[in-house]
Amino acid sequence: MTGSAPMTPRVRILIPAVLFSLAFAAVAVFGSHILRDVQDLNAAHKDNLQWSLSQTDVEFLEFYTALVAAEGDGDGDLNTLRREFDIFYSRIRILNEAELYAPLRELPRLRTALGRVDGFLQAALPAIDASNVELRQNLPDLAEQAAEIRPVVRDLSISALGHLVALTDARREQTGRTLVWLGLSVGGLIVALLALAGYLNHLNSQNVRRRAEVVEASRRMNVVMGTSLDGVIISDTTGRILEFNAAAEQIFAIPAQEVIGRDLADVIVPDHHKAAHAAGMARLRNGGTRRVVGSGRVRLEAKRATGEVFPVELAIQSAETAQGEIFVAFLRDISAQVAAEEELVSARDLALAGEKAKTNFLATMSHEIRTPLNGLLGNLTLLQDTRLTARQRRYIGNMETSGKLLLSHINGVLDITKYDAGRLHLRPVVMNISDLVQDIIDNQSASAAANQSVLEWQWDGPAKNWIRADKDRLQDILMNLVGNAVKFTHNGRIRVTLACLGRENGLQIVVEDTGIGITPDQIRHVFEDFVTGDSSYARNVGGTGLGLALTKRFVTALGGHIDVESTPGQGSSFIVELPVEEAEPPQPAGPIHARQARGNPITGPRKVLLVEDNPINRDVAREMLRAAGHYVVEAHNGREAVDLARAGRFDLILMDISMPVMDRRSATRAIRALNGPASLTPIVALTANVMAEEQAAFLEDGMDGILTKPLSKDALLGLFSSGALPEQVDEICDQKEPAVSDEHLQSLKQALSPDGARVIVARFCKEIDELIGWLGQEEGEQRQDLPRIAAEAHKSAGSAATIGALCLRRQLIAIEEAAKSGSPTDLALAIDGLPAIWLATQSALKSAA
Amino acid sequence: MFRFLMMTVFAVAFTATPIAVPVAAKDLGKPQEEVVLTVSNAAVTNMDGAAVLDLAMLEQLGARSFETTTIWTDGPQQFDGVSLATLIDALGMQGDALRATAINDYSVTIPLEDISDEGAMIAFRMNGAPMSVRDKGPLWIVYPYDSDPRFQTEIIYSRSIWQLDRLEVLN
Repeated sequence: MTGSAPMTPRVRILIPAVLFSLAFAAVAVFGSHILRDVQDLNAAHKDNLQWSLSQTDVEFLEFYTALVAAEGDGDGDLNTLRREFDIFYSRIRILNEAELYAPLRELPRLRTALGRVDGFLQAALPAIDASNVELRQNLPDLAEQAAEIRPVVRDLSISALGHLVALTDARREQTGRTLVWLGLSVGGLIVALLALAGYLNHLNSQNVRRRAEVVEASRRMNVVMGTSLDGVIISDTTGRILEFNAAAEQIFAIPAQEVIGRDLADVIVPDHHKAAHAAGMARLRNGGTRRVVGSGRVRLEAKRATGEVFPVELAIQSAETAQGEIFVAFLRDISAQVAAEEELVSARDLALAGEKAKTNFLATMSHEIRTPLNGLLGNLTLLQDTRLTARQRRYIGNMETSGKLLLSHINGVLDITKYDAGRLHLRPVVMNISDLVQDIIDNQSASAAANQSVLEWQWDGPAKNWIRADKDRLQDILMNLVGNAVKFTHNGRIRVTLACLGRENGLQIVVEDTGIGITPDQIRHVFEDFVTGDSSYARNVGGTGLGLALTKRFVTALGGHIDVESTPGQGSSFIVELPVEEAEPPQPAGPIHARQARGNPITGPRKVLLVEDNPINRDVAREMLRAAGHYVVEAHNGREAVDLARAGRFDLILMDISMPVMDRRSATRAIRALNGPASLTPIVALTANVMAEEQAAFLEDGMDGILTKPLSKDALLGLFSSGALPEQVDEICDQKEPAVSDEHLQSLKQALSPDGARVIVARFCKEIDELIGWLGQEEGEQRQDLPRIAAEAHKSAGSAATIGALCLRRQLIAIEEAAKSGSPTDLALAIDGLPAIWLATQSALKSAA
Repeated sequence: MFRFLMMTVFAVAFTATPIAVPVAAKDLGKPQEEVVLTVSNAAVTNMDGAAVLDLAMLEQLGARSFETTTIWTDGPQQFDGVSLATLIDALGMQGDALRATAINDYSVTIPLEDISDEGAMIAFRMNGAPMSVRDKGPLWIVYPYDSDPRFQTEIIYSRSIWQLDRLEVLN
């Protein structure tokens, strides 16, 4: 169908029909004219009119002949004359009266002639109707009159005939015209018929084509339905199945002929969905909302002939047909797919679990490796404070360097693990970038100098010192880049250039060196994990190959990017661009005060409860604290810590975060829940795991601060000067029981001379120092000899009583009792408490002196 | 067209009309008055192998009458006469056609099959009066022209012979 004609089919069929009707009507009209004309023509030779007219002449002649004959024969028959007269009379009468001749009578010539002939007849009547005798007498007159009228009769018929000829001509012409019209009409009819035939032919061919198309489409549809991999089910609005293709047969395990005409609900809807299905079908019929029809793919459950319920994915569309609305459902058995999805999900869960396990393993391993390493490094620090030969000091220095390198590698692995686990959290702080760079330059200068390299830094353009950024990460990035540059540059120059980028408060850090450079081949892999540069060089400098990989992760985490340019043999250039927030310089009071405090530590000894299960780490922390003059009481687990915290007041509790028996969290909460001032004791966590969220959790649990392992002496002792601790409210010995009783001391001085008293005190100090030293040495072995401990403590308790060191005496009695009772914990606690009390006693003795 | 159809229909109707079986020769009697019609070649004769009839004899055959206009007269005319068909029956005329001849020897041929009871009539009175020769008398074959368009054709007009005095059966 061409779309150009806006006519409806009805109009199209109407036009030829009207055309045809018109042509047919024309042919009918003209045909009837022709028929009439032909009939007229047929009748012409018998035409009454012409006959009558010619008869006028003939009959006049008959009459005239009879008249002449009668006149010539004196006894002739007059009846013939009379009959001929009557016949002629009748003829003229017809001409005068007949309707037929009315048009002729209009002709003036004919009318005149007819009038004269009629006049002759009327004049002759009396003579004709008279007796034979009279008629005979009148015959000569009649003959004369008849002779006169003869040309008139002739003229009458001729003029009438002339008119008739003209009429006939006109009629012939009319017939000719009619014939022409008929011809035209027939032609038109033929054209109309041809047009109609053409149109019908067109319609027919169209119908044939459409039929063929429909047959073809139907055949194709059957093929499509038959070969469709999806089940196709067609139903009417009542749910009666109309079509059920081969795939559907297979899916539902039932042949089509068994289900055609049955209700969908009985065939494929699982029992527990039947109510919902019925409601849905009712809604469809009532024109309500269509939840499934036309809403794309839907997952539902279906039922096989075997009763098995399985998942299907289906799409339903509705269509209008001559038999009403039908629904076409395409459905697919997705049991396998669902199973595969479930398998995939479980595989993913497994993989995720595996990944998590790996990450946990790495984190745990790193932690577990760091713990002994911390012990090692702490002990090395302690060792450095002892008397050492130069060689020993060098060896210890090498050990410390190696240990720190190992620690940095482990930290690197841990950081990557954290980053990849998405647990790398930024902690932006207000910081001075120039100070940071200066610190790093200072830190690395020695190494650079060792390689005969120059290390320098500068701002390119205006400086922007104070920024808000994650200082630790920035430090890691700079340390890595500068450290690498220093490592790979000999007899060269390393330059760090900072520049503010105009846009987005960007900061550009360029670390250039004139070192060995990186080959184009390596440069592509330089930021990948576990990549080291030239293998021969790697041997020289070592490294896990994680440095740059970690750096790139940190840069990415900070929202920036890193690039490298390098020419082998000429040097490398690492360019980092980061978005940073400009910040106001902080009020100078805090940091400066802290620094001052650090420079002038509060001298008063503090009582510290150290909770640490690892004996080496405990030793390191204890020794550091004791060396600084603080008293340390140790606990091996959380429960001990809580018990001790309840028993005595401490200025500070240092608590390792992972402990047996009672974990850090429970212990912290238990301490916070204690009655009295003990609950307010500051608790600082000791941890190797510095994860931001963990730190938040620590603080939430009631801890006051965090110290990162490995413990540095500065950081540990900084606790006491940073103002984190409350004022030293707790004397080692409380007010009721002063460290040294002034009364005793005064009475001693009175009993002896002040010098004598001084000697006694000096001897007492020596005795107690020796006792503490003996108790502290090889403590494991010593503490096996409980009776001796009891005896020594008893002896010293007596000395303490002599000079009025009541607090010390009480502690020594406690040691004696613990030794006698055989409780190693009580003994250890009592012994651990001794040095602190002794320090307090000493200071009291000094002030008293 | 219509007229043609009608004629065809009537032609068929006439064909189907059974022609009356010739009656047994019956005595016509002799004309007592002037003979107005001589029928030759008929089964029934009364004089010299022909049937001759006067007005009274014609009237006895069965009078019929109708009023109609004609193209030869002015205004409606009342005609009395005898149906041509009646005459044919009465005289046992059998053949294809009938030749009618007038006093002035005008003649016309009428096929027998065209003759019907309601068609041609031999009129002997017009407007109640006998017709004179001067007024198309004494006998005039007329048709009820006004009653039916089929009686308004040239053929019918040509068969409307006046001053009729002879009939002859043609075989």
